[in-house]
Amino acid sequence: MPDFLTPFHYDYMLRAIWVSALVGGVCGFLSSFITLKGWSLMGDALSHAVVPGVALAHLLKLPFALGAFVAGLLASGAMALIKAKSRIREDASIGIVFTSFFALGLLLISLNPAGVDRKTIIFGNLLGIPDKEVWQLVIISAVTLLVVGLKWRDLMLFCFDPNQARTIGLRTGLLHLTLLTLLSATAVAALQTVGAILVVAMLITPGATAYLLTDRFGVMLWISAGLGVLTSVLGAYGSYFFNGATGGCIVTLQTLFFLAAFLFAPKHGLLSARRRARINLEAKIPS
Amino acid sequence: MNLLEPLQYPFMQSALLLGSVVAALCAVLSCFVILKGWSLMGDAISHAVLPGIVLAYLAGWPLAVGAFLSGLLCSVATGFIKQNSRVKEDTVLGVVFTGLFAFGLVLHSRTQSELHLDHILFGHLLGIGPFFTLKVIGESPGAEYVWSLDLDFGSLGGQVILVGILVAALLLVLRRDLLLVCFDPNHARVLALPVKFLTYLLLALLVLAIVVSLQAVGIILVIAMLITPGCTAYLWTDRFDRMMVISVGTAVASTVLGILASYHLDGDSASCIVLAQSLAFAASFLFAPKHGWLASKRRAARNSAFPSAVS
Repeated sequence: MPDFLTPFHYDYMLRAIWVSALVGGVCGFLSSFITLKGWSLMGDALSHAVVPGVALAHLLKLPFALGAFVAGLLASGAMALIKAKSRIREDASIGIVFTSFFALGLLLISLNPAGVDRKTIIFGNLLGIPDKEVWQLVIISAVTLLVVGLKWRDLMLFCFDPNQARTIGLRTGLLHLTLLTLLSATAVAALQTVGAILVVAMLITPGATAYLLTDRFGVMLWISAGLGVLTSVLGAYGSYFFNGATGGCIVTLQTLFFLAAFLFAPKHGLLSARRRARINLEAKIPS
Repeated sequence: MNLLEPLQYPFMQSALLLGSVVAALCAVLSCFVILKGWSLMGDAISHAVLPGIVLAYLAGWPLAVGAFLSGLLCSVATGFIKQNSRVKEDTVLGVVFTGLFAFGLVLHSRTQSELHLDHILFGHLLGIGPFFTLKVIGESPGAEYVWSLDLDFGSLGGQVILVGILVAALLLVLRRDLLLVCFDPNHARVLALPVKFLTYLLLALLVLAIVVSLQAVGIILVIAMLITPGCTAYLWTDRFDRMMVISVGTAVASTVLGILASYHLDGDSASCIVLAQSLAFAASFLFAPKHGWLASKRRAARNSAFPSAVS
């Protein structure tokens, strides 16, 4: 039996692969919106800010998704408050809030060593994920896909041009809240697969890669979702050979895909831009 | 005296001294970071040092050298990709730093090393061990003790303090020029300041400060020390020199209180330090005399009570 098939003989590997494919796909879909909206820092912040919620939920024996969700909403409320009521810049206020939440989460975990493991939160726990958490991930993913599927045109317009969206009568406040909610929900889901630090990669790298490959948003959505699934499957499979560093494998692959697109993308890549510049230069030189 | 009981242990004294020096250094830098709008940059660099640390460990180099190089690589690569593609800067920064961090994790998983990932990520302040001795070297005529502080520069703690003091001194000497570069690069250019050089210098000092601080608070929370004290001070004053003093003051006080709290709670020390800083910020956000929330509310109420005074 060849070595490279061994991961498929373990139930936990098969489960890890399909769960990560699901989460990777959902994050991929959402990442198109996040990159367009310029919410990279927000994604990073929310993925750290949900940690105290997860820790408290474990203490109180509640579903972790619920705790994470409440913590995410509290954090985004606090960021909005500091930005609105003081002269601190937005990026700094985001930084203050998410590090405070994250520190609170780590403190709660260190006070209660019998509860959730610090490593699980930082690196994810795809290979040892319990059944009831798989169900939570499936529900989160289904709801997110449903909302994105029904509302993607409105969300797209909101990300591209909020003023235009307001003009044609869309409720931008509601759309803002929807996107923020979806972001928190997927951040929680991705926390399980790649861990708090690398969630932001799942939420921006596929979108940024797709953005280099196409000019059409519909196409971009599918490319980024496809990349999310592909890299998650390969990464989860590869982590069998890499000592269980699932998150590291998935995100390293995503970055490699981004670099490839940055260099070789047909229209927006570095090489084609250089070629175009050279052709333009030659055209200008009189013969 | 129960509250101060931890002070009698050498490892706590080491932790307090090292933590305070690191906090003061980061606090000085944080004033520049928030003026320049480099919060995300600081976050990115602090994560991006990981692969450098692992590679330096494998190559047998000093870990700080690897960390410094890979931190610089992060900011250089981000600049290059941003200039040559249509992706926004904050997105590029996110892609690059997560990529480097993930690569670091994969590398680490393949090395059978004694390199504790935990210590790099979360800091290891209480385990730094004694690196200085405080001695009474004699009694002066006024019956006061004369203390001498012997630092052991062969140890990690001593080196951290040495580098920290050098970086802080450079920042203080160049603070006027750096301030102008952060505030108004065009004006600085008119005055014939080497703007590009100073910007890169500030970036290099930022990377150096992050590398130095990793030992105390770890990769994940060092960014809090690089943002929060500066923001707290920014709410109290409009003058830069005062802002630096307040920033250093709150950072050092938070560090001492945080370490003491972590001893009594038996909790993670880096988290306690960061939470103490956050509390200082929250209090300033509410109660700062001019830029606090309550003060501006009071002002608004007074203005609406005497609307004629405004117009």
